[in-house]
Amino acid sequence: MLALAVLFLSSCSKPQGPGGSAAKNHAAMDSTLVIAMLGDADYLNPVLASTVTSSEIIGLLYPSLVQAEFDTTSGLLNYLTLEKKLKDVSPGQLRKSPKGAIAKRWTMSPDNKSITYILRSDAFWNDGKPIVSRDFKFSYMLYGSPVIASTRQQFLAELVGADKGHVDFDKAIETPNDTTLVFRFYKPVPEHLALYHTSLTPLPEHLWKDVKPADFRHSPLNQNPVGAGPYTLRSWKQQEELVIASNRKSNLPKPGNIPAISFRIVPDYTVRLAQLQTGQSDVVENVKPEDFTALMKANPNIEIKTIGLRVYDYVGWSNIDQDAYGKNGTIKPHPLFGSPKVRLALTKAIDRQSIIDGYLKQYGVICNTDISPSLKWAYDNRITSVSYDPDGAVALLKQEGWQPGPDGILQKNGRKFSFKLFTNSGNARRNYASVIIQQNLRAIGIDCRLETQESNVFFNNLQNKKLDAWMAGWAIGLEIDPLDVWGSDLKKSPFNMTGYQNPRVDELCELAKQKMNHTDARPYWLEYQQILFRDQPVTFLYWIRETHGFSKRIEGEELNISGSFYNVDDWNLRPARNITH
Amino acid sequence: MVIYIFKRLLIAVPLIFGVLTLTFFIIRLAPGDPAAFFIQPGISPNVAEQIRTQYGLNDPLPVQYVKWLASVLQGDFGRSFSRAQQPVIEVIAEALPVTVTIALLTLVANFVFGILIGIISAVRQNSFLDRFLTISALFFYSMPEFWFALMMIILFALKFPFFPASGLNEIGAENLGPLAFTLDRIWHLVLPVTVLSINGSAGIARYVRGSMLEVIRQDYIRTARAKGLPEKIVIFRHALRNALLPVVTLMGSSLPFIFSGALFIEVIFAFPGMGRVTVEAIFARDYPLIIADTFISGSLIVIGNLVADVLYAVVDPRIKL
Repeated sequence: MLALAVLFLSSCSKPQGPGGSAAKNHAAMDSTLVIAMLGDADYLNPVLASTVTSSEIIGLLYPSLVQAEFDTTSGLLNYLTLEKKLKDVSPGQLRKSPKGAIAKRWTMSPDNKSITYILRSDAFWNDGKPIVSRDFKFSYMLYGSPVIASTRQQFLAELVGADKGHVDFDKAIETPNDTTLVFRFYKPVPEHLALYHTSLTPLPEHLWKDVKPADFRHSPLNQNPVGAGPYTLRSWKQQEELVIASNRKSNLPKPGNIPAISFRIVPDYTVRLAQLQTGQSDVVENVKPEDFTALMKANPNIEIKTIGLRVYDYVGWSNIDQDAYGKNGTIKPHPLFGSPKVRLALTKAIDRQSIIDGYLKQYGVICNTDISPSLKWAYDNRITSVSYDPDGAVALLKQEGWQPGPDGILQKNGRKFSFKLFTNSGNARRNYASVIIQQNLRAIGIDCRLETQESNVFFNNLQNKKLDAWMAGWAIGLEIDPLDVWGSDLKKSPFNMTGYQNPRVDELCELAKQKMNHTDARPYWLEYQQILFRDQPVTFLYWIRETHGFSKRIEGEELNISGSFYNVDDWNLRPARNITH
Repeated sequence: MVIYIFKRLLIAVPLIFGVLTLTFFIIRLAPGDPAAFFIQPGISPNVAEQIRTQYGLNDPLPVQYVKWLASVLQGDFGRSFSRAQQPVIEVIAEALPVTVTIALLTLVANFVFGILIGIISAVRQNSFLDRFLTISALFFYSMPEFWFALMMIILFALKFPFFPASGLNEIGAENLGPLAFTLDRIWHLVLPVTVLSINGSAGIARYVRGSMLEVIRQDYIRTARAKGLPEKIVIFRHALRNALLPVVTLMGSSLPFIFSGALFIEVIFAFPGMGRVTVEAIFARDYPLIIADTFISGSLIVIGNLVADVLYAVVDPRIKL
C-alpha cells in the first residue's frame, strides 16, 4: 500500500513519468558508455593499483612504453612500437595501434642482459610536459620501494642487484638522455620477458618527485591522475561512479572514440543484471549462464560475449599429511589422498561433464591441467580427459586397499573414506558443483560432507594448510609460471596448498624459464602437462568461459583473455534511438 | 532536564569508549587480515609484510592499542586500509548524509503510515478493513527485507519500470537544474524507502492499534462522546493524543533499527552510504573504518535512547526528569 502511495506521489511530481526523464537524459546516454561494476577502483595510480578494475582504467589514462597486443592464434603477447615489433604482423592484422607506445624501437643486447629503448620526442603528459626517460627510471624506483609496497615488485626481479636483495637503480636503469632508456639485468632474460617486465606504466616525475614514500599512498595526486592516454579522469565519486572522458590532446595512440565512459559501482548482482536489461548499463561483467535466456528474451538488444579460458575450478586434495607437516614439518602422504592412484580414482568418480551441462553449458570446458587451451603455444591437445568412470574408480581404489565396509563406506585399515569438502560461501557455481561431487562420491562409497566458509576464513585456512579437501579456483596469468603453485619447496611456494612435490616439475619450470624464446620451451610444458595429468595433484574440474553482457549499441569491441576492456578506446556507440526494437 | 541530558551524555562517553575498545580487539580476533589480499601468485611475498608494517599491524597488540587510543583521543580515526588510504572521517562524511537522508525519510514514512493504519484498524475494530490491514501488516512484518527489496526491484524496476533499480541519481543528472535534480533524487529513493519503511510501519501500526483500543475504552472517551463531540474530534483530539504517548518512545528506539536496515538496502540499491561502507569494511578487514562505523552507530543508539526518554517527558507531563 505504501508502495502504491509513493508511486502515486511520484507520478504527481513527475507528470511525464520515468520515460520522460529517460528521454531528457538521452543526450547524455548517447555519448556515455555505462559499465556497471561490482567494485570501485582502488587507486588510479599504476604503482599502487591492485585490482583488475583499476588496472583496466589506468590502461586508458596512462601511456605505455610499448604496446602489448594479444595474439589469439598463439596465445602469446606481441609487443609493438612504431618502428619495431616483437613478432612481425602485416599492418592489416594489427589490432592495436603501435602509436600507443612511447618507445620508437628497442634493442636487446646479444647477451640478453640489457634492453635499450629509444623514446619518441613527441609524447607529452596531459599538463604539457614531455614524457622523458627519467620518468621511467623514477617510476621504477617507486615500484621497487619497500615503503610504498607496490604489488608489482616482481617485475623488478631480474634487474641488477635484485639477486642480492636490493635493486641497484643507478646501474640497473640508465637514462643517458631524454629519449634513451636502458634496463640492465643480472642474468640473461628472454626478450619477451624483458619487454613485459620493463614496460610498467610510468608516472610523471615532475609532479611526484616531492612526495615522500611514506605519504605516497595518501597523496592528493592520487585523486587527480595526470596521464597521457586516450582518456582522462573527469570525476570520481568513490564507491559510486567514476567517469573518464576522451582525451582530446592524446596522441598515444589517439583520443578515445566514445566521448565519456562511466564506471558505476553496483555491488548487487541482481541489480546489475536489471540495469543491463533496462538499458541503464551497457556492460555488465560476469553474467551467470543461468540468467542468459531470461535476459536476452527481456531485451533483444543484449548480447553475451565471452573471453578466452583463463579461470578454472578444481578440487584440491591434500597430498601430504597436514597434521604431521604442521607439527614438525615432516612430509608423509595424506592418509586418504596421498596416492596418485586414489586421486585419479576421485577424478574418474566425478562427473565433470554433468556439472558443465547442468551449470556452465557451452561456457565450460573440461580442464586437464592448469595450462589453458587459450595459450595455444604451450597447450597439449593430445591429452584426452579422464572420462567419468565410477566402476574404474572403484577398481582403482580396491587396488589401493579401499574396501566397502558394513555401512557401504569404503574402509582401509579401519579408517573410513570420509572427509569434509570446504568451499567459500557465496559462489553459486561452486555450490552447484560441490553437490554433484558429493553425490558422485557417495555413489562409490565415499562419504563427503560439504562445508562453506566465509571467504577470508576459507583462504586463511587454506594457506595455513588446515583443509584436507576443498574446492577453489585459479585465474591464470599470460606468462606461465606455475612454481608458486606446485614448487616442491613448500616454504617458498606459498600457494602449494596441496603439498604436491615432484622434482621433475621444478626442473621443467626452471628449464622453460631459461629458454630465450617462448616456443622453444614448448617441449617442457608438454612434459609438465603429462606429469600433472598422471599425478593428479588436484582434480581439475573445468575451464570457465567468462561471460559478459553487452548492449548491442556498442560496436567494435574485442575481448580476449588479457581483459574485457582490451580495446575500449576503439569502441563506438550507436545512438540508443537508432537501435531497432 | 538540561542537567539530566548532560548527565546522560556524560555516562555515554565511557560506554561508547568501552564499545570501541571491545571492537578493537574483537575484529583483530577474526580470521584473515587486511594484508591478505596481497597474498597472491605473481605478487612478491614481501608485499603483504610491507603493507602490514605500513599499517602498523606488526606491532604487538598492546602497542597498537595505545597508538590507536592516542590518535582517537585527538579525534583522528586514522586512514582506511581498503579505500586508498582515505581518512576514515572523510569516508564517513561522504557516506553519512546518504544514510541519514534514507533514515529520516524512512522514520517519517514509518510513523505517518503506521499511525494512520493503526487508527483505522482500531476505530474499525474487527471489521473487514481491520482484518485486511492486520493480515497485510503481519505479512510485511514477517518478510525478510532483503528479499522484499529484490521483489520490489523485479516488480517496479523490471516488469513495470516505474523506478530505477539503483543509484542516487540518473546518469548526467549533474546537468539538470536543482529542482529536476531533487526530483530525480526522490524518484531514486522511492523504492528503498518503501522497502525500509513498510516493515517498520507495519510494526508501529500494530502498536498504535493496541494503544488506541485501550484508550478508546477509557471513561473520558465515553464522556467526550456523551458531550456530543463529533467522532473526529473524539478520535484525534482526545484518543489519539493519549494513545500516542507510548508510540513516541518508539521514535528514538527505532533509529538504530532503521540504520541497520539501511545496511543491506544500501548494498542492494548501490547507495554509497554507511551501510555499504560498514559491510565492505568488515569483509576487507578494514580495522580503522570498522571502528569508526561502530563509533557512529554506537553514538546513534545512545542518542536515540536519550531522545526517546526526553520525548517521553516532553509529551507526558506526569514524568519529571
